[in-house]
Amino acid sequence: MINKVENLILALVPPIVGPAILVSLWAIFFWVPTDVSLGLSQRIFYYHVPSAITSLLAFAIAGGTSALYLRTANEDWDHAASAAVTAGLTFASLALITGSVWARTAWGTWWTWDARLTTFLILWAVFASYELLRALSAGNEMGRRYAAVLAIVGALNIPLVQFATRLWRTIHPQVINNPEGGISDPAMQATFLISLVSFWLLFAWLWALRMRVLRLSTRTELLVEESYHWSSTR
Amino acid sequence: MLAVIWKDIMLESRGRETISALFVLGVVILLIFNFAVDVGSDEIERMAPGMLWIAIVLSAMLGLGRIFLIEKENGCMTALVLSPIDRGGLFIAKLLVNLLLLIVFEAMLVPVFILLFDLDVGANALNLAVVLGAGSLGLAATGTLFALAALGTRARELMLPLIVLPLQIPLLIAAVKATDIVLRSGSLADLGAWGSILAAFDVIFVTVGWLAFEFITVD
Repeated sequence: MINKVENLILALVPPIVGPAILVSLWAIFFWVPTDVSLGLSQRIFYYHVPSAITSLLAFAIAGGTSALYLRTANEDWDHAASAAVTAGLTFASLALITGSVWARTAWGTWWTWDARLTTFLILWAVFASYELLRALSAGNEMGRRYAAVLAIVGALNIPLVQFATRLWRTIHPQVINNPEGGISDPAMQATFLISLVSFWLLFAWLWALRMRVLRLSTRTELLVEESYHWSSTR
Repeated sequence: MLAVIWKDIMLESRGRETISALFVLGVVILLIFNFAVDVGSDEIERMAPGMLWIAIVLSAMLGLGRIFLIEKENGCMTALVLSPIDRGGLFIAKLLVNLLLLIVFEAMLVPVFILLFDLDVGANALNLAVVLGAGSLGLAATGTLFALAALGTRARELMLPLIVLPLQIPLLIAAVKATDIVLRSGSLADLGAWGSILAAFDVIFVTVGWLAFEFITVD
């Protein structure tokens, strides 16, 4: 099933991603009005928030596909989970970097131990250790199963981390779902949506590509093994 | 299941290797804190819970990973998996042994901690024990769950803290805050949300470990 999703994405998405990103860049730098109180720096918001949301989506996908892998023992699900984590970590790193740049201009510091920042950094660390676990367990089956458990646990842990750190302290601006303030300008909302959609398209493309690479490399390994077998019997 | 627990307890009580190593390490960490942060008497109360938990977590990291090391070194893993208990039961057994190890370790470390930091525990001792127990259960559950994973990698024991520490952060925050409240002679009812986080963490990780072990142990 996931193969069909992968094929569908690889057939449809690649031609749209480039134009979508270009349109979002145009909207961010030329079309959208500048924020009155925050000034130019607010424009980074159109890249920062979509990458954060995209990485959360990716980690949720990784948790779900990992559960399916444990249930079915079908390697395609394992590839889907691994690919989602790789792509998700990329977006999470992007969110951390852009957020840090923005914080420097808005709060005067690269990093503070605010709840949402801390949550995100923990999430990043959990899934970075997922990548390490996969790399160091050298493709044995127990390593893959454990990685799946880690992805599920990491996803389950998110609300707990969120709750604990929020109780702890928070200064992060609440932009979406905020009754007072937040973005109300239609051009700003449109730009945000364009950015979000183009980030999702980009993620879908990266995810599907990575999945295909993983599957092809497993198949290559099998073929190499088979050819050894074949040449030794002749 | 009882046999597995009993076997591990006997092993440890005969050798006493792990527990003594943990105790010395815990004391050394407390000592180093004393030098790293020059604690005046007014700051001690603020910093003590954090220091205690760092000493516990770091020592636990070393001790908890050993639970499957013995089996692996002696080639007993297959025998354990083949033994007539289900794998979830195997997890619970190993978890209980680890929890017991942590409780004994804390029973030794906490008096030293109280002495070194000159704290007045007195009537709060029972509440402190409850908080320590809840925190230890979470530590033991995450440690036991991923101990086998770490052993399967090339980095072996090095891998365990990398996987487990980020997961344990909510537990740690809650445990430190709860210890702080208890040390200021708050009752267990004063723990509020921190108590709920501790309990939720324990429930989630014991359940996940119990369920996951069915899928993980394939060989």
